[in-house]
Amino acid sequence: MLDFIIKRFLQVIVVVFLALTVVFFLIRLSGDPTTLFLPPDAPKEQIEEYRELLGYNRPLIVQYGDFMISAVRGDFGQSLRSQEDALSIVLSRVPATFQLAISALVLSLLIAIPLGVLSAYKRNTIFDRIAVGLTVVGQAVPSFWLGLILIYIFAAQFKILPSGGGGSLVHMLLPTLTLAAYSVARFTRFTRSSMLDILRNDYIRTAKASGVPPSRLIMKYALKNSLIPIITLVALDLGVLLGGAVITEVVFSWPGIGRLLMQSLMNRDFPIVLAGVFIIALIYAVINFIADILYAYVNPQIRVK
Amino acid sequence: MRKSPVLLLALILMLLLAACTEGTSGETSTSGGSSDTKKDSLVIGFEADAGTLIANSDVNYVTDTQIRNIYDPLIERDGETGEYTPVLAEEWENIDELTWRLKLKEGVKFHNGADFNAESVKFSIDYILDEANQSFYRSRWVDVAEVKVISPYEVEIVTAKPFPSLIQRIIEDLLIMEPGYVEEVGADVAAKEPVGTGAYKFVEWSRDNYLKLEAFEDYWQGTPKIKNLEFRYIPEFSSRMSAFLSGEIDLFKNIPVDSVAEIEGAEDAKIAEVASSRINYLALNTFHEGPLQDVKVRQALNYAVDVDELLESVLNGYGTKMTGPLAEINTGYVETKDYGYDPDKAIALLEEAGYKPEELTLTLDTPNGRYPMDSHVAQAIASQLQKIGVTVEVQVNEWGNHLEKIQNREMGDMFILGWGPAFDPQSTIENLFTKEAPYSGFYDEAIEKKIYETTVLFDEKERFDGFEELQNDLVEQAAWVPLWQQADLYAVRGNLNFSPRVDEKMQAYEMSWE
Repeated sequence: MLDFIIKRFLQVIVVVFLALTVVFFLIRLSGDPTTLFLPPDAPKEQIEEYRELLGYNRPLIVQYGDFMISAVRGDFGQSLRSQEDALSIVLSRVPATFQLAISALVLSLLIAIPLGVLSAYKRNTIFDRIAVGLTVVGQAVPSFWLGLILIYIFAAQFKILPSGGGGSLVHMLLPTLTLAAYSVARFTRFTRSSMLDILRNDYIRTAKASGVPPSRLIMKYALKNSLIPIITLVALDLGVLLGGAVITEVVFSWPGIGRLLMQSLMNRDFPIVLAGVFIIALIYAVINFIADILYAYVNPQIRVK
Repeated sequence: MRKSPVLLLALILMLLLAACTEGTSGETSTSGGSSDTKKDSLVIGFEADAGTLIANSDVNYVTDTQIRNIYDPLIERDGETGEYTPVLAEEWENIDELTWRLKLKEGVKFHNGADFNAESVKFSIDYILDEANQSFYRSRWVDVAEVKVISPYEVEIVTAKPFPSLIQRIIEDLLIMEPGYVEEVGADVAAKEPVGTGAYKFVEWSRDNYLKLEAFEDYWQGTPKIKNLEFRYIPEFSSRMSAFLSGEIDLFKNIPVDSVAEIEGAEDAKIAEVASSRINYLALNTFHEGPLQDVKVRQALNYAVDVDELLESVLNGYGTKMTGPLAEINTGYVETKDYGYDPDKAIALLEEAGYKPEELTLTLDTPNGRYPMDSHVAQAIASQLQKIGVTVEVQVNEWGNHLEKIQNREMGDMFILGWGPAFDPQSTIENLFTKEAPYSGFYDEAIEKKIYETTVLFDEKERFDGFEELQNDLVEQAAWVPLWQQADLYAVRGNLNFSPRVDEKMQAYEMSWE
């Protein structure tokens, strides 16, 4: 088991390292940021001077080496714009993003599991058809569009909910709904098909034949078995939700890490972008790491492989 | 699987906990347009957060607009006419080509009670000049050699070489900080909790969320009428629009021309418009090897582009046509020749230059969303040129890339760019028509010589004449197809007294509720 954990942990490091490397070189393709920060009338020598001051005139590979050495020590440099520590800025936004992602996850589960179970049980009825239809819509609708429509209806037209901003539960409602839409659809479909598989099993038929009432049949015999794969999906989707929050955060002016990344990318505030990518990659990898360990713990076959 | 309800319960608990962490204890009434209760508060919607709240560091317009409510400048421009008006400086004169003397206002207090005086001016300029502070303004101030405190209310600025545009720099860049405070708490804290002499005091700054300010009772110009001021950050335009329609914000800038009707049709809302000092133009790039290095081709393009039609059909009339490199609001402006729309002449000129219009393919680069309808304007220009047979390939660039292409001289034949706030002729002409200037798209040896002869002139009349000649030369050389002064459009709550300023600033001190 320990062997397995160490191996998986090394993978986490490799994933984070690769993510940082790829993003480091990708953002450099967009050029160096010096000129976006200086006034437009700054003369050439001044631009050169700042480039040197910020270190962007050195060969790319040297910059990369320096960056990695500092990054290992947790130093991602200072924000070019506010001159504050980049990693602290990013970390200060993590709670807001988590808040959104977790509430979206909870909401998805609360809607998706009952819906999936019911539509599997009432397979091929009108209810099932509508539920499946909705999941297709849920997966197909782009979140920025859904967000804007929700804002338009609830904030601009009926004026019952704020259009955005951070803070209270009321502020969370629309962004949570928007972010949850995709996961609701995914979880519902998954629950439904997993449930259908279980319902085909012999022991269900036997239970049915021996007169177990339908509610008990589903809750006690079918649901708990069909939930096992859902748990893996939940772990994976939390990562997706954290990443998916970028668009939602921008549309709803939610002060989280996604919006910070978006803004920093536009501003070419590279240290913040890299610190942000580091945190997101780390969270994603760690969540998967934990899911794997748990899974291995539950199912020894995986460890042996 | 008995555990699954437990897991669910745990998650719900986490959600509740998370929801109760930050911000919940604060204000709750952010929705709904309760105009009765907000008579003393104003919420301005903004596209982005300030980079920092310390003065004299971040050149960004977003930062500057907000902190100008906290800090005062020494001199400013009149919001309507653009003329210099004294603020913390009462008088200024230049004693010789290298020395400027400023007399300061007495009896002005900072928010922390400290007195404003010559030391604060020296400190603020030195702050820009000190490399350690990494001020992005420093590039504009490097010619300042020294700031001398002559008496408590008099300073002298000594420059290393003649610096005729120093007053413009003072107006556009310099805001006055409290030296005692910055030294006591350090620049890091001062950047988060600013102290100035401005009309509003700092209250709270929630990153990417809002900046809250309150009226400074002892403001030297009198207590502001609006007591509470908030800048709320909403990056997405449609969300800003919804927030305005729902009454959450009272004012926001940069309304796309195609959304004007919706705001005008909304309840309790109006549009405010002003011809901005920001200009938009089509640069005819002479750095690029190609037909545009021939003046006849450039002139032909001036005849072939119908600016009036662009204004009417693409911008719905929101914009003020220009014919030369400077807008009317610019201090050096003179009326220049208008090429007008004459496609036949355009074709004739192209043929004179040895080109058949049908065989000519030109590139046109444009940003998207940076200037009003910019990419649409580019498409419309392409179709106008198509009418005389010239093919135009429009390339839409991300903003940062667009700038970089100009700087690296990687632009093709034509590109769209804006410039501003442009009030003085030097900044525009020196920066857009010389060989080495980063955003230039035009170079001509004789003109460059003339530019450098003019920018060092001290005599106002000689300077004016020099720039007059330059404007005419640049129009004759067809360095651009000049387009227009942007119309700055604001969405304004119906009962807010607000007149937009030509310099794009939003001074809450000048606003009030009816």
